[in-house]
Amino acid sequence: VTDSTFHTLEAAIGDEHFPEVDLMLRRGRHIGRDDGTAYDYLVDAQALLEPFYRRFGCELVQQSDGYFYLLPSGDRLGRRQLSAGEMLVGQTLALLYLDPATLQHGGLVGREVLLQRLSGLLGTDVLVRTLNPRKRKYDERVAAETVRAQVGEALRRLADLGFVDIVDGVQLRLRPALMRFADPVRGLQDLNGALERLVARGEALLGEASTEDDGANDEEPA
Amino acid sequence: MTSPDPSRTIASLARDQVNLDLKTVDLCFLAGLYLRADKAALASFEEDMLVDMFEQVCDVVEPGADNPRKRATHAIQRLREQRMLARVDGAGIVRAGEYALTRLAGAVIEYFLADEALTRESLTLLTGTLRAQLAEVLAAAKKVDGEEAWRRNVVGPLRVTVGDLVAGIERRQRGLDAQQEEVQAEIATMLSADWFSAVDRCEALLDTTANTLRELNEILLRDTNHFVALLQEIQTLAITAEITEANETVQRVIEHVDRIAAWGGARQRAWSEYYQYVHRYLRDVVRLDPDRALSQRLRDQLAAWSSRRFHLLVADASSIRLLRQLEARVELPMVARPRADREFAPEWMDAENALADIEAMVVEAVREGAHTLVDVTSRVLPALPNSTHYAATGRVADALARLAAVHAERERPWARVQERLEIEDWTVSGREGVS
Repeated sequence: VTDSTFHTLEAAIGDEHFPEVDLMLRRGRHIGRDDGTAYDYLVDAQALLEPFYRRFGCELVQQSDGYFYLLPSGDRLGRRQLSAGEMLVGQTLALLYLDPATLQHGGLVGREVLLQRLSGLLGTDVLVRTLNPRKRKYDERVAAETVRAQVGEALRRLADLGFVDIVDGVQLRLRPALMRFADPVRGLQDLNGALERLVARGEALLGEASTEDDGANDEEPA
Repeated sequence: MTSPDPSRTIASLARDQVNLDLKTVDLCFLAGLYLRADKAALASFEEDMLVDMFEQVCDVVEPGADNPRKRATHAIQRLREQRMLARVDGAGIVRAGEYALTRLAGAVIEYFLADEALTRESLTLLTGTLRAQLAEVLAAAKKVDGEEAWRRNVVGPLRVTVGDLVAGIERRQRGLDAQQEEVQAEIATMLSADWFSAVDRCEALLDTTANTLRELNEILLRDTNHFVALLQEIQTLAITAEITEANETVQRVIEHVDRIAAWGGARQRAWSEYYQYVHRYLRDVVRLDPDRALSQRLRDQLAAWSSRRFHLLVADASSIRLLRQLEARVELPMVARPRADREFAPEWMDAENALADIEAMVVEAVREGAHTLVDVTSRVLPALPNSTHYAATGRVADALARLAAVHAERERPWARVQERLEIEDWTVSGREGVS
């Protein structure tokens, strides 16, 4: 016996939320409690939608932090790996999400705080070289500008994916989905083992990004 | 009374170069005076009392400072210049002065001393008094007659008593806002310092503030509706009696009351968001990681990421391609012309030797005395059909240049030939080929 509003897949798909939620999931968005009725709909229809998406070779994942996302494992739905910029920014935002100081402002941080933390954790040189791997020599001013631009682009993409909300252009509202970036270190096993487990589940890929394309890497379906 | 124009007010403040420069010792001195006045119910202070108070404050704030009496004199002067102290005796140099704290000094010190956050008790008291006051004003408005009576019995109490009570609620609301900020900072500090062991204290703080806000909002919602109803009744009477000043004053109070009502709802919503966020944090982050090891492990992961890269995978289904709207194909007719037998039998034509004819006519014209190209062309063209005049003009020039010596100026003049043509003119300077 289920207390779900939906008793059949037809009813779940016929709900007014389905088209928007379906498109968001297929475009890689993480739908969390902050998304209001879209999240409530997913919670309600989860049991019916899981087998539905399995037929497309995807898994509808629900994390205990309170968000859903679609994880393609077959070749029926496209997928992409996050770029180096998105990975660095995502991990730094996850750190800020864990920081109690962020609580004071209800999960809001400024872009400047993000840049400061990123530069403080990695060092400017590593940051510049990771985000501009092809450049051997760089001018400090130009490099700083490039880093800011790349971080801005990564933030825009992470916002599209539901990891963060950009408020008024300068403030970032951190969302629980950021904890995906901490997945490799959440368990007690060592990092390599955890990464292998994530790779086996189709959550991540190891090594350098396969192709650089304006900060995003499109991966051909396996 | 109309509201002052903000631009004009700011310009006048800038022109007067108003500023406040209060040191810690000054503030402590003012606070000492304020408390003394409060305790002993003093309306003013004698000069000696001021100096004594300053010396006491100096002992606490700057122990061992030289010449406290002289410093007291300077401090009193400084505070008078900044309109914090006012001399109230009017005796000039006849005797030592008597001083009182100004309204400005009172406001500054109250800000630091008074714990004026809104509480259930203070709000209930304030709203009760306000309701009674408004009922009195309404009763007066029903009885009064004439503009002067309206001003004395309605406008005055609304501005002063009611205005002060509403402002009092608003001031305490700001106090509560400041308290909330402190609570937020305190929660962050407690978690930073004690992490897991601070969870219960954080939850208690959150719940206390949430309960306070809920209670206050309930009181505000209930009472402000009542205030607005009373005020609208007064406004209707003012409109009927055509007392514009009273109508405007009531309207301003209504707006003020609306503002304090809106505050309650807005703060409760904001706190509710914060409350949920913190509870989620406590549940998902703190309770699941009691040793606070995750942050450190994530920091290490990020620091080593460049040498041990991994990339998360996300779904990326391309958008549905929108095809162009279907249009009925229009069959364009094939480019064609009617079939016909286009082979004609050749006709016999008279031989044409226009070039030779033109040469002969040019020679003839030169022989007859034509000495410019215009002259020669004018003589040749009439013998030719109109349709060939343009082409013939060039041939005439060609023949003349070949058969005679011609001379052209650097700036060759244009001259008309017959009606339709204009050519650059040459002079015939030799006639070797035509003789």
